[in-house]
Amino acid sequence: MSRETEKAWDAGLLEDDSGESALEPTFRDPAGHLYLTETHALRRVQPAAVEETLAFLKSPLRASLEDSGELIASRIAEPGAHACMVAGELWLEHPRIDPISYPWEWTTGQWRAAAELTLRIARKATDAGWALKDATPLNIVFAGARPVLVDVLSLERRDPQSSVWLAYGQFVRTFLLPLAAQRFLRWPLQATFFSRDGYEPRDLFEALSLLQRLHPDLLDVVTLATLFEGSGGSKTRKLPVARDPELATHILHKRIDRLGKQIRRAARSGVASRWSGYQQAASHYRPADTEEKQRFVQNVQERCRPSCVLDIGANTGTYSLMAAEAGAQVVALDSDSGAVEALWRSAAEQGRNVTAMVANIARPTSAAGWRNREQLSLLDRLMGKFDLVLMLAVIHHLVLREQVPLGLIGGLCAKLTRRWLVLEWVPPADPMYQEWLRGREDLYGSLSEEDLRHAFAPFFHVLERRVLGNQRVLLLFERNERGEAGREADGQAGGA
Amino acid sequence: MKKLLEIASIGLMVVGAALLFERPAYAYADPGTGLLAIQAVGSALVATGWYLRKKIYSLLHRGGATGRQSDELSATKEDEGASSL
Repeated sequence: MSRETEKAWDAGLLEDDSGESALEPTFRDPAGHLYLTETHALRRVQPAAVEETLAFLKSPLRASLEDSGELIASRIAEPGAHACMVAGELWLEHPRIDPISYPWEWTTGQWRAAAELTLRIARKATDAGWALKDATPLNIVFAGARPVLVDVLSLERRDPQSSVWLAYGQFVRTFLLPLAAQRFLRWPLQATFFSRDGYEPRDLFEALSLLQRLHPDLLDVVTLATLFEGSGGSKTRKLPVARDPELATHILHKRIDRLGKQIRRAARSGVASRWSGYQQAASHYRPADTEEKQRFVQNVQERCRPSCVLDIGANTGTYSLMAAEAGAQVVALDSDSGAVEALWRSAAEQGRNVTAMVANIARPTSAAGWRNREQLSLLDRLMGKFDLVLMLAVIHHLVLREQVPLGLIGGLCAKLTRRWLVLEWVPPADPMYQEWLRGREDLYGSLSEEDLRHAFAPFFHVLERRVLGNQRVLLLFERNERGEAGREADGQAGGA
Repeated sequence: MKKLLEIASIGLMVVGAALLFERPAYAYADPGTGLLAIQAVGSALVATGWYLRKKIYSLLHRGGATGRQSDELSATKEDEGASSL
């Protein structure tokens, strides 16, 4: 993009109205813009930020953060290496982490891990003479179960006398207050979808009781911050600067350390989970059935050797971890945050490549941001990226709770997987099916495995079938060659 | 006694503020008005603790206390100062 083109684009004169769902280059940071290609994330550095960026790339801080895996790897792109590059400009090349999850799809533990990473980097930067100018969860991406800072341009040289962390307000709004709101007000973390810049102290202040406003964890960042707000107005803001650089560093350390304590306390409260104890409490599964099911999935892994697996309704991740252990990159979805929390913790502890998301495939996360092009919808991030999709004991939820016809479910699966699908059929006689039937026998009481196979026939054929002792059926499907034609039938083929 | 404590507190805050001065803020991310004020107050408190730590250390050091003892004492004082904000 030329300078003129960029100016026109900045002014909103050039707009791509093709209607396709695609990410636009980032535009908020005046230091640069991020572009995504199939294989890389490319960062175009604005001329004013070139010197600072090159200094950071040469710094020991960058090397240390990259070595520890806390910061995304960067290298200067060769001229002409990518079609979008412009000669004479500084472009950085990063590996692309794909698919990614967004903060509104994270569990409490993931929020805490992302916040602690941000504070750790801010502290290391302070010691090395740098400052983290941006501190938002949107700059953190989970590579598998591990958080990584992906915004290299967030680091700038620090005024040694500055005792203020300029990103403090942003950190409090986007990390601390959402966690505090969950702990004290039961506002779900998923609600952060609606507020790009987090919560203002006043948002919480107005919702808290008098006693809660005096709580030691909220007194400064909510109550006093709200009371001080009125006095600032629109005047030029002044920052306290220390006469002694040693004092400035000391103050910054204290501030970052206190934030760390506040984050740990705010993230202490767990959320109620209906399903995280499901595997242990599942009375409709005898140990022999569980073993049989695990053996079936294990055999499928060995037979298909998928490199990318999507586990829909992953629960606490038994099968996601199994797939990751076999070497696959796994994306695991579940709508129960307690279950996903347990899954993410296991994956993090075992160092498995599992991206855990709190998401409901029947109500997938929407696209977000400016023109809906700053963050992709869940389906846009997942479509066609997997060799194998697992849908174990999910189908009855989609049919009975979400009331989605079988044909539509088959159509979606055919768009998600490039080849294989493992599906667990739960028959109407099953106790879990009965629990959700709720007097709708006429509609769903006689649904059979045959109905499922008929509804999936335009998209898939069955390669393998196994009936468990509890009468549930495991099916390995393969996508039809006529997948495209089958997908056109999506919407017409209704099984239920 | 209460009056004395009040005067001492104000005096300490003045000491903290005297260690700091002001410059205009140039931020890309919105630093927030109230949260920026919280940082300013917090900075003054921590600066007071830092100043006291140095003073106490130098006093004890002059009085023959070991470095370790004075460090422990000053660290306690400092944490008390910083814990409120």
